[in-house]
Amino acid sequence: MDSPGQHAAPPEISSGTEDRAAQIAALFREHNRTLVAFLQARLNSRADAQELAQEVYVRMLAMKDADPIAAPRALLFRIAANLAVDRIRMRAVRANAPADVPDDDWFAQPIPEQHASALQQWREVRAALRELPAKTSKAFVMHVIEGRDFGAIAQTMKLSERMVRYHVSNALAHCRARIQPSETP
Amino acid sequence: MMAMTFSGAGDRVTQTASQWWARLRAEDPSDHTIEQWLAWMEEDEAHARAFEEVSRLSQRLGQADSHAREAFVSEFVGAAERRVRWPLWLGAVAASLLVAVLGGRMLDSMSRLQAQPYASDVGQNRDLALPDGTRVALGGASSITASYADDLRKIELREGEAFFNVTHERRPFEVVAGPVLIRDLGTAFNVRRTGDRVAVAVTEGRVRVTPPGGADALEAAAGQQVLYDPRHGVSIGPIAVDDATAWRGRRLEFVNEPLFVVVASINRYSRRPVQIADERVGALTFTGTVRVDAIDRWVEALPRVFPVQVSAFGDHVVLSSAEQH
Repeated sequence: MDSPGQHAAPPEISSGTEDRAAQIAALFREHNRTLVAFLQARLNSRADAQELAQEVYVRMLAMKDADPIAAPRALLFRIAANLAVDRIRMRAVRANAPADVPDDDWFAQPIPEQHASALQQWREVRAALRELPAKTSKAFVMHVIEGRDFGAIAQTMKLSERMVRYHVSNALAHCRARIQPSETP
Repeated sequence: MMAMTFSGAGDRVTQTASQWWARLRAEDPSDHTIEQWLAWMEEDEAHARAFEEVSRLSQRLGQADSHAREAFVSEFVGAAERRVRWPLWLGAVAASLLVAVLGGRMLDSMSRLQAQPYASDVGQNRDLALPDGTRVALGGASSITASYADDLRKIELREGEAFFNVTHERRPFEVVAGPVLIRDLGTAFNVRRTGDRVAVAVTEGRVRVTPPGGADALEAAAGQQVLYDPRHGVSIGPIAVDDATAWRGRRLEFVNEPLFVVVASINRYSRRPVQIADERVGALTFTGTVRVDAIDRWVEALPRVFPVQVSAFGDHVVLSSAEQH
């Protein structure tokens, strides 16, 4: 799905001048990897990141001004950052919508085949998190697994956002060092 | 920020990559932050790769299924304040001094390790979530106690019936049912206890069942039932997985069960308990279904299939041998 060598094709060029198109094609060649990396970090989803990256190029192509863009890379990432903020806001709205009825017939659902290997992964993560100070693993689980933002965690844990960020990055580095990346992400 | 001290594992590049990742996760990173990050990313291919790897790990964790999610939250979020971490340098002597100083608080934290009881009423099934995310369905009039220590999760089935869907983790998961010890080996299983007679039906994965007296342990897989009976010892046989948990749908399924087991089971659902007047009746074997909402009718019909007599009293029913009269 997102093997390293596989990049999305540059978007179809439908508007703007030849120069503009060439400029954006160059941006794509040079910065697409970091753009997707940036959006993936923002959205915690590679699929969403790739989709939004396409949207960024389309927006740049659609800009009215025909002159070459002065600081194209900065603009590329600013548009991306804004689109990411919109997407995160949209997700929050969706998360606040009434949830599906919780499924209390859990025992009747067969657990999928890959459950065993998935559990192995979780065992490793759990073992890694147990090696960390309680606050560090707590902040990390709240952010990465529960999906809460730093502000909310800071409030709950009575810490500054900066400390939350510190705990989360420590835990992430620790887990990354302890867990072998799987072949198929 | 990049100079902060660090105590966990991981090389410097991974640590820096994680710090950048966390920094980009904040509300809305400024253009300046993004510029700095880009400069770092482009400085070295290893930087970009390390960043992509921590990002991928985070995404994988973010996609945890609800089972795993609950287990993580209950262990690391719910319980974080409770976890007691002893500094490594603290030897036994220092620890004993600390007991004197912190006595009260320590006793408090130790008492949390004490057995937590759970019980259900007659006629009521009850679903529970244990602290590790393990799910337990208790049958009617059943009770368990859960004792979670650092190295073992131990459940005692005191009476009745319970279905366990065990969350897998480092600590072994054991169920003690009277004389029988059941150890989870990656599993969902049902345990029914009737006095010292214990039936363990595996619906998923495997369990190891150790009967009393040091006899050999048996391993049972999904679709198998281990039965321990004080008179006949231990045996293993096939069972329909659906039958083993049919009680959750308020149907009790029995295959060649002695009537005393059947009656003990229905009594957990009946307001009017059934008593067995003599052993011969209790030893009759029954195969079939009893619907929880139609226990009275089932009891009334018994004399048609068994040589028994039913005597109804105000608050109980007596089953006796038909020949006695």
